[in-house]
Amino acid sequence: MEGISAEAMRLLAAGIAMGLGAIGPGIGIGILGAGAMQALGRNPEARGPIMTNMILAIAMAEAVAIYALVVSVVLIFVA
Amino acid sequence: MSRKGCLGCSFPVLITIVVVVLAVGVVSLLSGALGKAIVGDVGLPELFTVEAPHVQLPAEGIFHIGGFAVTNTLLASWITIVILAFFAWAVTHRIKVIPSRLQNLLEFALEWLLNFCIDVAGEKNGRRFFPVITTIFLFVIMNSWLSLVPGFGSITFTAIEHGETHVLPLLRGANTDINFTLALALISFVFVEYLGIREGGLRYFTKFINVRQFGRGVGQLLRGKVKSGFGGIFMGVIDMFVGVLEGIGEMMRIVSFTFRLFGNMLGGEILILMMLFLMPFLLAVPFYGLEMLVGAIQALIFGGLTLVFATMAVTQHEHEASESS
Repeated sequence: MEGISAEAMRLLAAGIAMGLGAIGPGIGIGILGAGAMQALGRNPEARGPIMTNMILAIAMAEAVAIYALVVSVVLIFVA
Repeated sequence: MSRKGCLGCSFPVLITIVVVVLAVGVVSLLSGALGKAIVGDVGLPELFTVEAPHVQLPAEGIFHIGGFAVTNTLLASWITIVILAFFAWAVTHRIKVIPSRLQNLLEFALEWLLNFCIDVAGEKNGRRFFPVITTIFLFVIMNSWLSLVPGFGSITFTAIEHGETHVLPLLRGANTDINFTLALALISFVFVEYLGIREGGLRYFTKFINVRQFGRGVGQLLRGKVKSGFGGIFMGVIDMFVGVLEGIGEMMRIVSFTFRLFGNMLGGEILILMMLFLMPFLLAVPFYGLEMLVGAIQALIFGGLTLVFATMAVTQHEHEASESS
């Protein structure tokens, strides 16, 4: 690896980690939102429980993206 | 009666507001890194420029008690505790049937949380879990909102360490310290496991070490039923493997709790600082609102997930009891 510094590799790795790590949660949150909207359309009275459960499930999906964020923050600022 | 004006203001007031916002926008565009890249440096005074954020992952120690370093995040969490305790005292030392404003606010919040607990865990368990869940919720939400108060991170002090002087912030949001979130995750984990063991006794561990099906298969094999015996052993091995996975999943909850809160709060703080650097004054305002929402949602999630896990740990045995009876 002539000409590529460790610094450059680290920044590249951080970017790739965050970028790839955001794909899955993005798709997941999209599916969750679509499902919640459909449920809301069929049963508008159940707005409260649907909202709570949707937010909880979104947080679960989002946690994966947060892991990627932590990894890239560690790569940039600590490693 | 016809009202002149627009959006609830008279026209001169509205025009003044628009002009002020535009002026702030132009100044912020010119002084930020974004504007400097587009327009070039126009030489605004030092006052308007914001430095690029410097990210510090571990919390800085302020002073030491014995060998124990008191960090700035710890100090912030003490302030949170004092504020919460003061609120609780101010409301409860003179409880009235017709609530005052403050009492009304706290009653509203607590009633909402109680209803949330009862919705998820049922009437009896919801009331039992309510104190722990509410404590977690209030602590996390207060920590994250306290760190959004203007001036919170701006108070600095000078530390002398190994002959070098550092200028460090005196306060820092407690949620951005991984030790704090880890401690809270451990509390939540111990709470859930304790409830599970108290409710189910030793049977609670059959969730993780599940040899019942395996033993049944071996027994059938010894009695000469070769075919159903091997089938039972096969299913038993799968059950044991599922139990091991269950145990790993239980442990992973700690990691997931820790990094979810830590990452969200640290990410939010970096986001606001980055926006302040790119375009001071104006661009950070919407993200401030976003961070208030994120703080509330993360507090709800920390409390809510603890509640869900506790409910799962408690009700697991009721299912088994009803199956066997």
